[in-house]
Amino acid sequence: MLEIKNLHVSVGGKAILKGLNLEIKAGEVHAIMGPNGAGKSTLSNVIAGRSGYEVTAGSVHYQGEDLLLKSPEERAWAGVFLAFQYPVEIPGVNNTYLLKAGVNAKRKHLGMGELDAFEFMQLVREKARLVELDASFLSRSVNEGFSGGEKKRNEIFQMAVLEPTLALLDETDSGLDIDALRIVASGVNKLRSQDRAIMMVTHYQRLLNYIEPDFVHVLADGQILKTGDKTLALELEERGYDWVKDA
Amino acid sequence: MPEAYSIEQLRAQAFSLFERLGLPGRKLEDWKYTDVSRLASTLGETWWQATSEQPAFSAEGSIEDLDAYRMVFVSGVFVPAQSKLPDGVDVLPLADLLKRAQSDDSKALFKLDTDAPLMNGFVAVAVALAQDGLCACIADGVILDKPLYMIHVGHGRSHVLSGVMLGTGAEATLIEHFIGSTDEVAGLSNTVTYARLAANASLTHYRLQQEHAQQYHMGRVEVKQSRDSRYVLHAVELGSSLSRLDVLVKLAEENASCELNGLFVASGRQHIDHHTRVDHIAPRCVSRENYRTLLDGRSHGVFNGKVVVHKGAVKTDSSQSNANLLLSKKSEIDTKPELEIYNDDVKCAHGATIGQLDQAQLYYLTSRGVPEAIAKELLLVAFADSVLVGMKDKTVRRFIERAAFAKLPHTSGIEGLTHER
Repeated sequence: MLEIKNLHVSVGGKAILKGLNLEIKAGEVHAIMGPNGAGKSTLSNVIAGRSGYEVTAGSVHYQGEDLLLKSPEERAWAGVFLAFQYPVEIPGVNNTYLLKAGVNAKRKHLGMGELDAFEFMQLVREKARLVELDASFLSRSVNEGFSGGEKKRNEIFQMAVLEPTLALLDETDSGLDIDALRIVASGVNKLRSQDRAIMMVTHYQRLLNYIEPDFVHVLADGQILKTGDKTLALELEERGYDWVKDA
Repeated sequence: MPEAYSIEQLRAQAFSLFERLGLPGRKLEDWKYTDVSRLASTLGETWWQATSEQPAFSAEGSIEDLDAYRMVFVSGVFVPAQSKLPDGVDVLPLADLLKRAQSDDSKALFKLDTDAPLMNGFVAVAVALAQDGLCACIADGVILDKPLYMIHVGHGRSHVLSGVMLGTGAEATLIEHFIGSTDEVAGLSNTVTYARLAANASLTHYRLQQEHAQQYHMGRVEVKQSRDSRYVLHAVELGSSLSRLDVLVKLAEENASCELNGLFVASGRQHIDHHTRVDHIAPRCVSRENYRTLLDGRSHGVFNGKVVVHKGAVKTDSSQSNANLLLSKKSEIDTKPELEIYNDDVKCAHGATIGQLDQAQLYYLTSRGVPEAIAKELLLVAFADSVLVGMKDKTVRRFIERAAFAKLPHTSGIEGLTHER
């Protein structure tokens, strides 16, 4: 589903990713762990299409198509979704309107009819319940005045509405208390299916107790240095990252 | 106390002041960025003489679905047949304004203060030559049931002088709407509007400028507020080739508050300049200012917001914000927030920003599948929204939203947004 080969990425002339290889198949959940500055957020943003990242070598293919040639919205239409580490506040842009514009642009792109206002509100209400988000959030400006936990829940809510085939969760667990973490994790778990893949970037093993990964990768110095199953996360929690780098 | 004097004296005094001041030159600090010398070159040496012929009025371009007391002025001349007025509100030839004025206070309303800040030749010539004007005296405790809606059809050269007086506890909404005549021949619309708010009075003032593309527009709004009164201005600038508005508010007694909201949407070679000045004279007054400009093409915006906190004005609470979006490489903004404070016990904040669309916000929206063109539009609308959101009259607000958004550079699919809010 997602195939990353020998990916080299620079930001402002500084090499961040240095030959990263990663393959994610449909139905799989991958956790990317690693020390600060290893390139975890860069990886998420390069896949989602943020500008300012220079791909100097390598490739990223998604469902056989070259993802790097696509704009962020085209990637979203192809089924890519990034839950931001720091969701952006957009005063004056209504949360529901953003989603409606996104959903209908995708449907249009796929040759499906647009949802009317009624159908859309039904969809949105159902998904809001999924992440226990109060309906009042729907009519508010995007992330404006939301607490840290509300922002993260809003990301998972958006994900649920947009129904991506590849979900990238960038430190979705950071700053969440245990109740919020449980809600967010259950939202993600409900999305798990045979034709969807999830890549989650995290610092902590804690999240993996709630969303069980099939693979755990250690990203350090711009490369995947080690891959294992969920027990690797426990080992990392105990021993840190240095032993992986030194090995 | 103001001395009683005749209309002839007032006119003569104003005209001699005009002869002395003439067109303001760019050497004056207040006119540094706005070149009005082209008025004389476009309209001729007698640019100040009012046009004698008026075209027939067509309601096209006015807010037709608004339930209001409508007053139509074509080229500065009142059109009674098109107008409907509430009891106690008159539109009169200027000569009759003073005769009708019932107190020394109301006479003082139209008195020419030659030493007033931002005094200039346009004000003087308006007082000297205005043919008609609105004289609205809202009695104590009267809450006007509908807005006063002045429709100014800008055709040729005209001057209008108006005054609104609100008695103790009175409340009113005034909408001044400047629409261009269809001939699109260069001319000058020059208006001066005075407002006096007695204790606990409240005035909401919409000023929507949509002159045609060749018109010069000059305006002055002068407000004096008594204790506990509230004044709110929504000044929206969309039309004309060159538009200048001076807004002066005097918070003369305790606990008065004013709110000045401004929105410019400019394109082509439009030039729009607002100078605002708020004088905090009495203690415990509040002033709020929020100006936003969206400038495209080769348009040029000027914002100068001055707040003066006088010696006795302790516990003043003042804030001013000006944000500007430059949508093209050739557009330009000159912004200058100014604070003068003459006592220590105040809370004052001001700030100005100039920028392009926020790339992080744009990325966020597109990453949700919103096409870039629509995402940009959403952000432009959101930017303007911070001013629009304060407009309490839904009909007026919807009209202004549509007119403003129609001028934005990206305009596909925006209609849905304004409906859903």
